[in-house]
Amino acid sequence: MFDLKKYRKKSPWILHYNAGSCNGCDIEILASLSPKYDLERFGVINTGNPKQSDIFLVTGPVTYRSRERLVELYTQMPEPKVVIAVGSCTCTGGVFRDMYNVEDGIDRYIPVDVYIAGCAASPELIIDGIVKALEILEQKSKEMEKPHKLFREATSEGGIVNRRHSALKVGEIDEEN
Amino acid sequence: MIESIFIIIAPIIGGLLYGFERVVRARMQNRQGPPLLQPFYDMFKLIDKQAFIVNPYHTILGVMHFITLWIVVAFIIMGQNLLYVIFLHLLSSIFLILAGFSVKSVYSHIGSNRELLAALAYEPILIMMAVGFFMVNGSFDIAVIREHGASIVSLFLLFLAYLMVIPIKLKKSPFDATEAHQEIVGGVEIEFSGIFFEFLYMAKWLEYIFVYLLLMLFAGDNILLGIGLFIGVFLLVNLVDNATARIKMKHLITIVLGLGLTLGICNLIGLAYV
Repeated sequence: MFDLKKYRKKSPWILHYNAGSCNGCDIEILASLSPKYDLERFGVINTGNPKQSDIFLVTGPVTYRSRERLVELYTQMPEPKVVIAVGSCTCTGGVFRDMYNVEDGIDRYIPVDVYIAGCAASPELIIDGIVKALEILEQKSKEMEKPHKLFREATSEGGIVNRRHSALKVGEIDEEN
Repeated sequence: MIESIFIIIAPIIGGLLYGFERVVRARMQNRQGPPLLQPFYDMFKLIDKQAFIVNPYHTILGVMHFITLWIVVAFIIMGQNLLYVIFLHLLSSIFLILAGFSVKSVYSHIGSNRELLAALAYEPILIMMAVGFFMVNGSFDIAVIREHGASIVSLFLLFLAYLMVIPIKLKKSPFDATEAHQEIVGGVEIEFSGIFFEFLYMAKWLEYIFVYLLLMLFAGDNILLGIGLFIGVFLLVNLVDNATARIKMKHLITIVLGLGLTLGICNLIGLAYV
């Protein structure tokens, strides 16, 4: 039969969430979907529904009000999924870093795959980031199919089998192979 | 034999039509647009993706919606009774509405409400259309309607009313308040995911086939006129979709029911007395 996995790369649907952004990056995201830059030629649709999307585009430093929703939206997305942090605030906190009402960047709460710098991030950068995210999406879908080895071979010291350090961390198996 | 082949490949033709429409809409906006086979890429991706099931009835009703629509399209292709086709199509909409009400999501409930209101607005026009075809051709059978000549001249006002139904069924602006992306996030389809959303996605393609096959009935046995009507209305619907904004549900009902019902009744009275 034909391979379904390669089509995952060809139809990424994005979910856009504003975690307290100033709307600068949101406007740039909309600009990259508009006629001049035309993200739809990669098959991108701005769905707005976490249950049907593959790529999570987040803008803004995470405010206290938005962090629960951020995690909620992330957990509602089905696997495989990729998270993109758009703009300096989302990556590190930007000009809002260390302010009293702001978490510094989204990677305190959810794992981020692609960081897009810039205040505001330009549409060209956003397109580059999404194309990069497509590669990661393909890689993640391949990893989902792999059988995972959760433990390394138990070591024995002086006849005593030691299993204390045999648990593998996430991603460690790839470095060994 | 040819009929059964057409019935089996109906969703594929619908998918191609949907892909072509996305390209046409992009070109109208001076964009490059997605590839022609994009709906199928989406479909394969959705098959492969993880699926969340909210409750069993929800997913079963979504699948039933797709199957019923396929049966509707099959009945049109086989040339069955037009009234039966319209009521079976209503049943498929009812399945979707029930699915929307079976989950707790507020957006889903709003979507179902709007779907019901939209059905209230377009269903009388479809039934009047069937009555109009009966008065012209003397039968509700689609096979008989296809054998007679073109009835677009005597049913012109009903044709205009049907033009208003097409954007509602295909979820095109100005009449796309039932789905309303970003506003109520797709309405009834919000809780579907993975392979179960794919049935809804394919049902959307079948909706295209349904709408344009009903449109071609106006041309009767004149195939060239039918193709001309299809191309003209296809371009017109997409042009209007690109050029207009979404209107409120209240205004949708007022416009479609008020204008469409008036046009339809005028046409039927004219057929009865002239």
